[in-house]
Amino acid sequence: MKKMYLSLVVGVGMLFSFQSVGLAQSDYPTLNQMTQRLQGVAGNGTATLKSLTKTEGGKDVWVLKIGKGDMDNKPGIAVVGGSEGFHVLSVELALQFAEKLVNENDAALDRNTFYIFPNMSPDAYEQYHASLKYERRGNAAKVDHDRDGRLSEDGYVDLNNDGLITMMRVESPMGDYMPAEDDERVMVKANASKGQKGSYMVYPESRDMDKDGKFGEDLEEGIAFNRNQTYKFPIFTPLAGDFAVSQAESRALLDYLFEQWNIFAFVTFSPANNLSAPLKYNAGDAKKRIITSMLEKDVAINSMVSEMYNSTVSQKAFNQNNQGTDGDFFQWAYFHFGRLSFSTPGWWVPEVKGEDGKSSSSPEVNFLAWASENSVDAFVPWTQVNHPDLPNQTVEVGGIKPFVMYNPPFSEVAAIAQEHTDFILKLAEVSPKLEFHNLQTEKLGNGLTRITADLFNNSQLPTHSEMGEKSRWLRKVRVDINRETKDIMSGDKIKLIDKLGAYEKTTLSWIVKGSGNVEIKAGAAHTGIATLNVKL
Amino acid sequence: MKFKNWIYTAFIGAAVSFTSIQTSEAQVSQDRYFRALGTPHDPKVQVSWNRYHTNLALEEIMRDMAKKHPNLVKLESIGKSYQGNDIWVLTVTDFNHGKADEKPAMWIDGNIHSNEIQGTEFTLYTAWYLAEMYGDLEFITELLKDKTFYIAPTINPDAHDYFIKEANTQNSPRSGMIVLDNDGDGLAGEDPFDDLNGDGHITFMIRKSPTGRFVKDQMDPRKLIMVAADEQGEYEMLGYEGIDRDGDGQVNEDGIGYYDPNRDWGWNWQPDYVQRGAWKYPFAVPENRAVMEFVMKHPNIAGAQSYHNYGGMILRGPGAEEDLGTYNATDIRIYDAIAKKGEEFMPGYKYLVVYKDLYSVFGGQLDWFYGGRGIFTYSNELMTSYLYFHENAGRNNQDEQMKVDRYLTFGDAFVNWEEYDHPQYGRIEIGGFKKNFGRLHPGFLMEQDAHRNSAFTILHGYHTPKLSVSDVKETDLGGGLKEVVATIYNERLIPTHSSQDLKYKIARPDYVSISGAKVVAGFVVEDADFKKYKEQKVGPEKIHVDNIPGMGVVKVRWIVSGGGNYTINVDSEKGGKATWKK
Repeated sequence: MKKMYLSLVVGVGMLFSFQSVGLAQSDYPTLNQMTQRLQGVAGNGTATLKSLTKTEGGKDVWVLKIGKGDMDNKPGIAVVGGSEGFHVLSVELALQFAEKLVNENDAALDRNTFYIFPNMSPDAYEQYHASLKYERRGNAAKVDHDRDGRLSEDGYVDLNNDGLITMMRVESPMGDYMPAEDDERVMVKANASKGQKGSYMVYPESRDMDKDGKFGEDLEEGIAFNRNQTYKFPIFTPLAGDFAVSQAESRALLDYLFEQWNIFAFVTFSPANNLSAPLKYNAGDAKKRIITSMLEKDVAINSMVSEMYNSTVSQKAFNQNNQGTDGDFFQWAYFHFGRLSFSTPGWWVPEVKGEDGKSSSSPEVNFLAWASENSVDAFVPWTQVNHPDLPNQTVEVGGIKPFVMYNPPFSEVAAIAQEHTDFILKLAEVSPKLEFHNLQTEKLGNGLTRITADLFNNSQLPTHSEMGEKSRWLRKVRVDINRETKDIMSGDKIKLIDKLGAYEKTTLSWIVKGSGNVEIKAGAAHTGIATLNVKL
Repeated sequence: MKFKNWIYTAFIGAAVSFTSIQTSEAQVSQDRYFRALGTPHDPKVQVSWNRYHTNLALEEIMRDMAKKHPNLVKLESIGKSYQGNDIWVLTVTDFNHGKADEKPAMWIDGNIHSNEIQGTEFTLYTAWYLAEMYGDLEFITELLKDKTFYIAPTINPDAHDYFIKEANTQNSPRSGMIVLDNDGDGLAGEDPFDDLNGDGHITFMIRKSPTGRFVKDQMDPRKLIMVAADEQGEYEMLGYEGIDRDGDGQVNEDGIGYYDPNRDWGWNWQPDYVQRGAWKYPFAVPENRAVMEFVMKHPNIAGAQSYHNYGGMILRGPGAEEDLGTYNATDIRIYDAIAKKGEEFMPGYKYLVVYKDLYSVFGGQLDWFYGGRGIFTYSNELMTSYLYFHENAGRNNQDEQMKVDRYLTFGDAFVNWEEYDHPQYGRIEIGGFKKNFGRLHPGFLMEQDAHRNSAFTILHGYHTPKLSVSDVKETDLGGGLKEVVATIYNERLIPTHSSQDLKYKIARPDYVSISGAKVVAGFVVEDADFKKYKEQKVGPEKIHVDNIPGMGVVKVRWIVSGGGNYTINVDSEKGGKATWKK
């Protein structure tokens, strides 16, 4: 840090100073560091940095638009980080993608435009670097999460003063938790059907200020970006709020996206994962008026992209069963915005097999096994505290430290970022691509010419996903011929085509009057525009 | 009040001339007019209720109302429209009696759909009627002491005037003035209607054609009638006035709008593929956002009414079958009680449920008011052809419409067919009913229907909660302890919390608090006869009550020590305040 400021002061080139930050970095960036790196990327001529809005907490929400030439008419990919504030890895992955794109992959901008939204939860993200660290999701809005008329009266409290919010357990014959058999540090729910009986109550590290018997039910944080979107919006639940897209950062992002017609796919770094394995098709849910299953043809696309992901990213899927949560962003991009939408956490706790060749059924036990193998300091031992709301009871604070289950040690990030950059660039390579082929011009006499050409989608992706075909927020493929209507004897001056499938062609034909050059254009912002020059 | 004004005027030195004017104005009235009951006899603000007002006229009237009734009417802008027009709200209440924002309130708005402009007149009438009748009628006077009416004559001012001033059909525009790409060709608003004959109305284009299926009625050549399947017709229909401006072979396919402001609200919102007309996300339309923000800041709103046209309907939700579970029996009983009474005094109006009697609506305004805020809300579809001849001839019945124009409006409703040379269709004829016929009331039907609909919102507003501490009983428990049981009565039909509100805890609980006594313990009484109490351990001097039901009571019990006088306060967001003092 000091070095960086010094370099700024002495006026060494911007780019150089940011590179030095990158090299020196040993932890996930602070918001200031993130902003400086974004400005560094924006120093490249192909990138523009813009603040979409400020959050309730006064933090900028950034977008980097990276591209060349007719940027708004090249198939675009949006890369989104910080869907969840505690998922600090996601921000770093988006940042590194942007850096690698402008520094090492300029050629990718010939055919595609990229939109990078590095951090959609800056208010919550900050908690990683705060003196009191906890896995925060909500922004800085003031919200009465438990809707009792008292505002945030039961947030987290650092009972053991270690600067971390972990868990607390209370010894109780009425408890429904017990220590896990394969790692006594981990508390698991007692399974009555297996004859197990709990001995602890388990809560987040917190108090019960309103004496309603609940702990940590009204947090001192606001609305979570990843619970505030319109698809399956969990109205009136904690962190979601009274209506969808209520927050400035959500609105600003959507307002921006609704004007960027060229985005054909989203890659979101968030806890949901439909890249290790595709979403499943459910005919019943796909056929309802309100669709809640990915449509059949889109599942096939998702499978194809999953294969691309699994052959690019080395980590093998384990415990990747989150395929979306209510009100989240990645599902919104597909179900409500009609775009191809992919999400991955980027990293997850690898499977650790015991001597019997099996891993623990408890993700926490598996995590602690991995942490000990990898010398990650991941656990706060249970220690007794005097709890002001639970006098005369044995209360201990401890558990897995915040952040470590969702974010790998920073030293691992470089390799992860490289693999994910490779994946996004591969996805860009298969974006819809319209081409004209087999042009024929036939003279019909008396100044009339018949023009025939095939419009071909030279891509393994269709121009429109099945969901995209339903959406009015994806433009149709438009074919224009630059002749006046009176000179077009046959064929359309303007023709709209709903969709071209993967490697599908359609034959177009006109009879035009006159001589000279005719220009025919076909495409949509998200497919790119193909141009055909015809000499009559 | 009049006396005070008089003194004030005297002090500023204009007493003689002013009072003489007063006297002579009253005398002028007395000499000329005899009170028609039910209508403000000598209103301070003169409004003609048989014509439509532009934004300019509307603002003048509203400012005049606020000026002439300073203790009853206040005017504020709650935000700006897309084009930067103010969205006005009139607050009508007795400002000298309680705080406006703490009294149970009605929200009333009109004109969410641009072409549905009589809602603007009807809401304005309501504000005018309430203000002018205050002090004249005991019922209205008490109503304005108890309640607040927030009245927004147009929540779509841009297109309100666009409908009036520019060429339109009776159905256009429905949206505000944001221009979207209706046909998906990448251009927005490139092919709107064209007022070919320049008469300010978009009417129909017809053309002579050997394959046409229509002929002109020989008895009334304005009328087009369809021929039998085995007969040759003379005319074909070409649709509304317009040309193909962009050369795509379609006419009028991309005008202003597309989006529907009444599919933009934050309850059960769905995107366009489910709900045509939905835009980006709830409250993306700036006018709706302003209303939402006002409603969020005014949790005292307990009832709401929006005005649409057409059809003679009193509508309640749910808008969609998927939302059936939201409206439960307890709340429906209240909806039914008010609306069925309304049916009795609004001839031609039927009480209906949107999703089953009309069509599915996701993200509708009335569903947000109820589902999202727990507010009892109706939407009235104003105007019905029943009002013409007290017959149910059905909507757009050409025979009836022609009869109206012949015997009641004497040709004012129709643009006679005239020939026109169309650049694409060749020789055509243009004509048909004007944009101000059909959906909109003719002048002579407006005041009556405005009054009846206002009466409906007055009934609704009357039935928002009215709380009182109806009884306080003290019992000596010995040992210096006393039991105090207070009964809180809601004298009206609407509870302080609808069951939707209770389900999601939308409004905070009602507070019943005691001050001036040392509270040992506090309880909500669950069953007074069998002594079932629910104790509140934290802060027992301020008991949290989930709900005070309509026409019902809640009892609260304290055990207090020491003597002396005390005060009991009731504080409810939607129910207002009440106080009892010993």
